[in-house]
Amino acid sequence: MNDNLAKMREAAKRALESGDVGYVIGWGATKFPDKTSPLFMRKPEDAERLVWNEYAIPGIAKYLLDDLYPDKPIGVFVRGCDSRAINRMMKDNRIKRENLRLLGIPCDGKDDERCTICRNRNPLVYDELLWDEAPTPEPKDRYFRANAVEAMSADGRYAYWSEVFDQCIRCYACRNICPACNCKECYVDMTATGFQGKQHSRSDNLIFGVTRAFHVGDRCIECGECERVCPMGLPIMGQTQKILKDINELVGDYESGVDAESENYLGVFDLDDKDEFM
Amino acid sequence: MSVKETNDPKIIAFCCNWCTYTGADLAGLNRSHYPENVHIVRVPCSGRVNPQFILRAFRNGCDGVMVCGCHPGDCHYSTGNYFTRRRFTLMKRLLEYNGIDPGRFHARWISGSEAGKFRDTAEEVTAMVRKLGPNTRYREYARREMSADE
Repeated sequence: MNDNLAKMREAAKRALESGDVGYVIGWGATKFPDKTSPLFMRKPEDAERLVWNEYAIPGIAKYLLDDLYPDKPIGVFVRGCDSRAINRMMKDNRIKRENLRLLGIPCDGKDDERCTICRNRNPLVYDELLWDEAPTPEPKDRYFRANAVEAMSADGRYAYWSEVFDQCIRCYACRNICPACNCKECYVDMTATGFQGKQHSRSDNLIFGVTRAFHVGDRCIECGECERVCPMGLPIMGQTQKILKDINELVGDYESGVDAESENYLGVFDLDDKDEFM
Repeated sequence: MSVKETNDPKIIAFCCNWCTYTGADLAGLNRSHYPENVHIVRVPCSGRVNPQFILRAFRNGCDGVMVCGCHPGDCHYSTGNYFTRRRFTLMKRLLEYNGIDPGRFHARWISGSEAGKFRDTAEEVTAMVRKLGPNTRYREYARREMSADE
């Protein structure tokens, strides 16, 4: 671990000293020993503040959207999930590859529930790889939340999601962190459209939950950031996992963000799609 | 428009301008009778229907929602209903997963000449929704009486 941290600090320092990059995004320490926060390194000496341990969990790719027209490329450390997030945003035409300097760091898996379903620990897109790739262990049940909810009755499912979304405070942290939720304007901010009110009610919260899931749905990269940032700790991956499960049942193996070229499920069609409507 | 407090179901049908709306028009020309519970909203194409329309309909007091369009291959805009098919296959499953009864949401292909099919579908859906009773899920009680300008 320490070896890898030294390599990361060295790489960040080298990139900043050469002037190839404007700044480098990584992980820094917080006052809590078991938490890290995103770190923006602008000077070579900042690289000493870099942290890489089992708590370096936060996704850092979404911060690229805060600087869409940088003077110099932005350096980013990319794990598997960050690289999929970057692929996702490049496919959505939100960031440009030439504005990025990707430092690939094969991840060793973190102590987090969402890392048990990880399918790509090694970065899928990078400029240089800091250390050797290691195979990703066999992931556990990819749809563990959706399967648990599907086992319930219809009334039970409604009761379950009501209980979940009654706790939702509609802070939209899940939207803000999600690499697939990258629209310039979001419908939840546009109250005049009437899709959903501002009030805190069960129906509006449920509708927010379903709509968020459907908007992300086929583009979800399964990083689980939405659950990590949720201040109420809600199991909202259950909604996106259900959509991905259905897509995988309908068209076979489907995964978003593995490259920046393949089309989104809902963005294309196939003449031979399953027709359940009469 | 206010939503009346009654047990009679209110059903919204999003009908594509080129096929289903014409089919409904033909049903009227043929003097065939379909339940007045079905309220038609004309859309340019079934691909115009946003899944949020369905959620909003339930929220504002509808008991059932239909999305109707041209048969695959017949779309006036060539490909619109293929996108509809993908979108609402997923949406129907997601609604079921969230506890909405599958009888409350229907998607159908009805062409401009199928006046009989439109009538039969309207009757079938109304009977199904009437049996299920008023929808309480996703319904916004505070806004049951909507203001006139909405």
